[in-house]
Amino acid sequence: MLSRIPIVTRALNPFEKEYFNYQAELERRLMRTFPQYYYFKKGTLAERKFLDIQNGVISKQPNVWYPKGIPDVKHGRDRRFKQNILIPGEEANKNDEKNLSRPIEVNARVTEADKTNNMSSLNRKLSHTLYLIVKEKDQWKFPSFNLESQSLHTAAEKGLVDLGGNQIKIWTVSNTPAAVIKYCEGELVAPTYESPDERIERHYIIKSHIVAGSFQPMNIEYKWVTNDEAASFFDNSYFQQVRHLLANF
Amino acid sequence: MFKTYSSALPQSLSRGLVGATRQTPTPFIQFVRGKRTKKYDLSPAAQKLITQLSVLSASRKQPKMLKLCPEDFVKHNTVQEAYKLITRKRKKAENEKLKQQYESMKLACEDLSKVSPELFEAANKREVSKRFSLELRVPTNYPPNVPWYYDYTPESPEDKK
Repeated sequence: MLSRIPIVTRALNPFEKEYFNYQAELERRLMRTFPQYYYFKKGTLAERKFLDIQNGVISKQPNVWYPKGIPDVKHGRDRRFKQNILIPGEEANKNDEKNLSRPIEVNARVTEADKTNNMSSLNRKLSHTLYLIVKEKDQWKFPSFNLESQSLHTAAEKGLVDLGGNQIKIWTVSNTPAAVIKYCEGELVAPTYESPDERIERHYIIKSHIVAGSFQPMNIEYKWVTNDEAASFFDNSYFQQVRHLLANF
Repeated sequence: MFKTYSSALPQSLSRGLVGATRQTPTPFIQFVRGKRTKKYDLSPAAQKLITQLSVLSASRKQPKMLKLCPEDFVKHNTVQEAYKLITRKRKKAENEKLKQQYESMKLACEDLSKVSPELFEAANKREVSKRFSLELRVPTNYPPNVPWYYDYTPESPEDKK
């Protein structure tokens, strides 16, 4: 079972996003005042630049009516509210490509392969685990290889390299099989099926990750699918036997 | 901290700090509106230490305590409980899956032991000094500039020396 681990963190559902936002705002409101006197020493140019950019705080003066409440200012921060610090240089350095003070531009989580839904690309669905499935006899399955006087994991590794070309790097999770799939005369049976008379064909699943490289098989139909998509490709019986091995997202 | 009084310092009407000796604290300070009039003049080392302590301490830096009205309090608690519920469900499902994976592994190994003892031995042999691959990166919030490294070439056994 060859898989590509997620490259990007799990996508959050709307409630989680809002909750994390709420918690972040709460933390900001309850955060200690920034000790500006320590980081920007009195009288330096850096302090002047810093103070120029900050929005001023409404100070408490005698005989003034404050409709929004009397300010409580300590160390240049109104204690009733969250402190907003603006970092000097960010606005000015936006367009300068080499300046280290420029604001960070993040890469998109949705790639081109996502937009075209290219199922043979490893760049797709960066927040999900991708599993390699191949078509054998008009059935989509995990790739399987014959055992030729080797151990299970060596057979798996060699088989995958034969299948996908040697330009791939594979890391085996463990030499111990994760599951066993049994076929009796071509038909899928339960893993606990036992019979001394009939011939049972056993497939032991060894988990491994593709870690780098381009997977290029010669003449076999293959796809990289997430766990939900795998459900639509596998036969129901096969999927039920294998679903606990697939990742949660 | 205590003040010492030296005898007969001249009272001048100049702005700012009255002329005082550097090391000892001044007994009299002319207050001037809007100007910072230092009480004590310390050595730079002592001043540095005091600044560092002040940075570490929470004095004068703590914001006002957040007081929620009863409705807001109820809302806050509801939100917290909802999140706890979601997390609990997710963790429970993950645990269930892990149990199933373990059972499946156990079954596979038992089957293997009956089928072929050598394969069973090879499967259960301890992998000495096995480490995670360097290319297995921890997922980040946003993808790197190169999300997948396609240009991998395996190193030949001649290169390893």
